[in-house]
Amino acid sequence: MLIELRDISKIYTVGAEEVPAVRGISLSVPEEEYIAIMGPSGSGKSTLMNIIGCLDTPTSGSYLLKRREVATLDDDELAEIRSSEIGFVFQTFNLLPRMTTFQNVELPLIYGRSARSDRAERVWQVLEAVGLRERAQHRPNELSGGQRQRVAIARALINNPSIILADEPTGNLDSNTGEEIMQIFGELNRAGNTIILVTHEQYIADHAQRVVRLHDGAVESDTSV
Amino acid sequence: MDFAEILKSSFRTLWSHKMRSSLTMLGIVIGTGALVAVMSLVAGLNRSVAAQFQSVGTDIISVSRYPWVQVGDTEEYRHRAHITEEDAEAVERLASVGLVAPNIHTRRSISYEGTNVRGTLVTGTTAEYETIDNFEVEEGRFITDFDVERRRSAVVIGADIAQELFEFMDPLGKDIRVGGHRFVVVGVLKEKGDILGSSLDDLVIVPFSTFEKSFGHRRSVVIDCQPAEGVTMRRAIEDIRQVMRTRRKVPRDEPDDFAINTQDDLTSFYTNLTGVLYMAMVGIVALALLVGGIGVMNVMLVSVAERTREIGVRKAIGARRSDITSQFLVESILLTCVGGLIGLSVGAGLGVLVRAITPLPAAVTPAAVALATAFALVTGLLFGVYPASRAGRLNPIEALRYE
Repeated sequence: MLIELRDISKIYTVGAEEVPAVRGISLSVPEEEYIAIMGPSGSGKSTLMNIIGCLDTPTSGSYLLKRREVATLDDDELAEIRSSEIGFVFQTFNLLPRMTTFQNVELPLIYGRSARSDRAERVWQVLEAVGLRERAQHRPNELSGGQRQRVAIARALINNPSIILADEPTGNLDSNTGEEIMQIFGELNRAGNTIILVTHEQYIADHAQRVVRLHDGAVESDTSV
Repeated sequence: MDFAEILKSSFRTLWSHKMRSSLTMLGIVIGTGALVAVMSLVAGLNRSVAAQFQSVGTDIISVSRYPWVQVGDTEEYRHRAHITEEDAEAVERLASVGLVAPNIHTRRSISYEGTNVRGTLVTGTTAEYETIDNFEVEEGRFITDFDVERRRSAVVIGADIAQELFEFMDPLGKDIRVGGHRFVVVGVLKEKGDILGSSLDDLVIVPFSTFEKSFGHRRSVVIDCQPAEGVTMRRAIEDIRQVMRTRRKVPRDEPDDFAINTQDDLTSFYTNLTGVLYMAMVGIVALALLVGGIGVMNVMLVSVAERTREIGVRKAIGARRSDITSQFLVESILLTCVGGLIGLSVGAGLGVLVRAITPLPAAVTPAAVALATAFALVTGLLFGVYPASRAGRLNPIEALRYE
């Protein structure tokens, strides 16, 4: 089992009040699964995503990633995991504006401490996979929305992560381009990548094999197609 | 993240904000430029003055009534007893003392066939004065023991006097009047130059005995001497001090009522004087760097705030806190070091310019370069630490949400 969440809770303390964002969620995700996490705003899906992506730690509960407990790791250890196991794709792309496509995609490798000689080859590989070899020297402002997201996907893939976490990946794209991007995710899943999609749109979630619905910080339903 | 990558990325960031980087650097440029220029000037001045002092004579010990550098109660000096020829003889008898030249001074007019030079230093002394006080004869000879013994009216004239009275003529053998008295020129001295502005060549030298005969006895003698071969300055000075105190009956618990001067006194006086000035200048420059540093910190804080989202993204893709902190710290240090380099060049260039155009000597020393570099580095480090650590401590989730 790739991901095992057991009784995960996240409580935010706002002043004197305690706000539970996630309440006792248990979830297991096997390798190569294509899963969508759905829910309205306030359902806790962003918080859950942050925990799964090791951007945040739960207040209580256990999170086994590849059989390793990550719920209690410190900042540096979490960063390590993010570097090697997680690939993020954001709604707003989040590319570094002053860097070229190549440099943006290369960045995780630099943080992962790869040797310079190995990096270039890998970058070209993933650029090829998303069809952006010719745009390697362009800056984000010279790319279309769809192209930017593809750069982001390439960046997410570069470290060979265990999980690809996509947060509303088509939210800033028109429906045609959005569909192209969803196609890429489909291909990636068929190639063996585990994909966790977070969305509030039904037609996006429909691309996945399994849909977990959240409501008020807890799992409402968990259906496999 | 390895250092080369951090450096490249920092360069890229500073370069993409050229205007902002340049303006921020300005404070550092001015600070380090001023530092280097001031240090160069002072170093050059020190060197020049040291060279001037050299011409006085390096191991001379001069015993006189007043010290060369007068401090404090100068009223007290007036009451001191004269130093006498007998004192000079007593000093000469000391084993630790080598050559001794008693000398005695006044100011008189010098004239030759209608041309007159006023207020010239007239020195009466012995043959040893030439060696001890570092005089060199250009033409003819110096005063000899024979001159002193026989009270001859021989005079050795300084370069200025030769120039003023004789211009292109040969002064040797000519009769001149020193304070009205007739003297024959037996030697002309080599030019010595200036010391702190006053000329060392506006003088004439006559035998000690003749001086007393012509200008009277009632003056204090100055005893110029050197340590004997193989004896340290300190040893000789101590022995002289003892002899003088005994002869003048200075009580044990009272200070000397005479002065023993050495060249070191001059140099240390000058160094103390300029030392204070120097410290003040360095202080002002440090202040400039402080202001420049605050500017750097300000810009870095703005930069961190601007790039909050970017920091969030970097953390999301695997950057650790230390990766972020070191990135911003390097940017800060790069800013100040590049500014420092520019400032250094400007300051050095200024120094070279000053030396070329003005009589002021300026010398760019390695100490100035090292200090400027160190200041720049430390400023970048000190003022970059706070913004960099703020950047490192950003929560990635909040940072990603930042507009």
